[in-house]
Amino acid sequence: MSLTLLHPLPTPDPTLFPSLCEPLEEAAAAEPADAAAALAFALGRLAGPKDARPVVLVTTGLWLRERGRPFARGLAGWGLGPERLIWIRAEREAEALWALEEALKSGAVAGGLASVEAPPFVATRRLDFAARAGGALGVLLRAGPTGDLSAARRRWRIKAGPSATHDFDPAAPGRVRLNAELVRRRDGPPGAWALEQDDETGRLRLVAGLAGHGLDETDRQFAAAASAAA
Amino acid sequence: MRPTASSQPQRPPPPEGAPFVLIEKGVHGLTLHALNAEARAAGLWRGQAHADACAMLPHLVSAPAEQDRDLVALKRLALWAERFSPSVAIDTLAPGFEGLFLDMTGGAHLFGGEAALLANLRGRLARAGIPAHVAMADTPAAAWALARFSGEAERVARAGGLREALSDLPVEGLRLEAKALALLKKFGLKSIGDLYDLPRAGLARRFRGEIGFRVVERLDQALGFTPEPLDPERPAPSYRVWTPFAEPVIDMAGVGVHLPALAEALCGQLSRDGRGARRLRLTGFRVDGRVTLIEAALSAPAATPAHLIRLLREKGLEKLDLGFGIDALMLSAEKAEALDARQMEMDEAADLAPPQALAALIDRLQARLGESVVRRPSFRESWVPERSEAWTLAGPQAPAPPERDDARLRPILLFEAPEPVQTLAELPDGVPARFIWRRAARRVVKAEGPERLGAEWWALGARPQRTRDYYRVEDENGRRYWLYREGLYGREDADRAPSWWIAGVFA
Repeated sequence: MSLTLLHPLPTPDPTLFPSLCEPLEEAAAAEPADAAAALAFALGRLAGPKDARPVVLVTTGLWLRERGRPFARGLAGWGLGPERLIWIRAEREAEALWALEEALKSGAVAGGLASVEAPPFVATRRLDFAARAGGALGVLLRAGPTGDLSAARRRWRIKAGPSATHDFDPAAPGRVRLNAELVRRRDGPPGAWALEQDDETGRLRLVAGLAGHGLDETDRQFAAAASAAA
Repeated sequence: MRPTASSQPQRPPPPEGAPFVLIEKGVHGLTLHALNAEARAAGLWRGQAHADACAMLPHLVSAPAEQDRDLVALKRLALWAERFSPSVAIDTLAPGFEGLFLDMTGGAHLFGGEAALLANLRGRLARAGIPAHVAMADTPAAAWALARFSGEAERVARAGGLREALSDLPVEGLRLEAKALALLKKFGLKSIGDLYDLPRAGLARRFRGEIGFRVVERLDQALGFTPEPLDPERPAPSYRVWTPFAEPVIDMAGVGVHLPALAEALCGQLSRDGRGARRLRLTGFRVDGRVTLIEAALSAPAATPAHLIRLLREKGLEKLDLGFGIDALMLSAEKAEALDARQMEMDEAADLAPPQALAALIDRLQARLGESVVRRPSFRESWVPERSEAWTLAGPQAPAPPERDDARLRPILLFEAPEPVQTLAELPDGVPARFIWRRAARRVVKAEGPERLGAEWWALGARPQRTRDYYRVEDENGRRYWLYREGLYGREDADRAPSWWIAGVFA
């Protein structure tokens, strides 16, 4: 019997959840009702790097009327303090794309997200360049999954999932869980992950398996294989 | 042909060489408000009844006076006159004698001396179709009198020679009301010089009430014994640079060429005093005697030429209406504030940029999208969600953190106006088992609550509110909502049933 059974932590495997952000990513809600989950996922991507610079949220008038306005007290729970938030309340989509591009390339912000319906390919390409020029991360928030052309390096599809069991009250919603599907990516094969909100940091982490913290499917297969070998 | 709609109806031009008057409605019927030279030569006067004037001149052409438009035109002219002096005041004290005061203290040499300045000013006005009389004197009151009663179109009173210059002018030059003028005439005091030798106490005593005092005061103002402060139309900016053109500039490219030098010079002035601009104005002086301008506001003081230029371009140089061309361009910092000097830290040079870069970014966004578009959160000590936070105009300073940590209990999206939902509950005042929102039915799987928020009766201006019970509910698809019931069953407003609303959406 070998001792490799206790595989401690996720190894740097390309199929693990990519925690590092590409310059431009796209987070689409699997259904329009999942917009809040997609927003939370996008915030998680932006709040990721250790960076004290602010983060811009760009909304269009349409999105604002349809989905509501960002609520800073709630956003603070996702690892983005209000001192880092800047909200740009653009009316039209062209303005939103322009504002995000300006913000990303200014070098003054750590990242930005914009809610857009149908950004032209050229605009996404510009955003990609702007993000790399300014050392920032950009996330495009889409209301629904689309197959159009985009320069985003990773295209996510986010779906809200039933929350975890509450520690003390089984009738109450517990930790937020959502399913992130990586539909397209340049740096590896697509994949899907079940994520949940970490109590401490407010960021998203892999849903823990039966035994272990933050293990994903691969790790469970690994553990299963190891136990089978034993 | 269809008649075209125009916001300002065009009036046919007054006839050349014929008497022409503007009339206004007075207490005693129509009176003459303004007259051209021919009408004055025919013996008509301001304030005369229109019927009398028509009796004297049967073919008198007249049009209604529009005094508010006159004032607008005068204000426009005052802006244009800022090319000569930063301090221009509108003078409407004496009806019928409206004009402009330009404070040229220490500025005449820039235009080649006082006489050259007056010729320049009058020439430009004449080219724009405005016949004008201009005068220059040590005091505003003296200049006022000389311009109107000296009979010369351009008149410069020698410095210190006010007494001689004014002595032959009629007493009307003192800007007195009609009653005082009539009395002075009755005493045989026709020219200002006649008043010089009269004993002042006696002069003031001759008139009843305040009039006597006014005569002495006006005389002192004209001779410079009493100061007469001007009230400029716009406060003079402390920092301004301008450049005149030999030939009128008629396109944006020309403006763009001159902008960098102006910005450079302005930033030079600003940084010499350690200050930065907070509000910028680019003014173009048009050949037709009008001005065209654009303004840009900055979120933090800045004195970087590239930033100022970029901001003005963002604001849209094409918004300048050049008309037939502009012959001077002025860039001014209407508001300037001390620029915080930042010390470079040896090893953290990279960290220097963000605060300035952020201010520059906010400026650009505000210039293009509007000032109210860029916002940062600010918190109020209130539990009512709508009142507990506001998004205020962004500045480069980070806002204060919230006074309590309830982030996990609050949604990330809040509806500006809560939307009504229809609910089905097992108990009247319990958690709903189902609810319909936006025409879709949702089954509640998990719920937490209530979180009871009472009405904030102490909040000024707040509508009387009912108690709200907030619930965090999750539906069968794992989507989480923030519902609330307004009103308590049987306890508040018995005649009005409690209603259910959705306040926001959790992630």
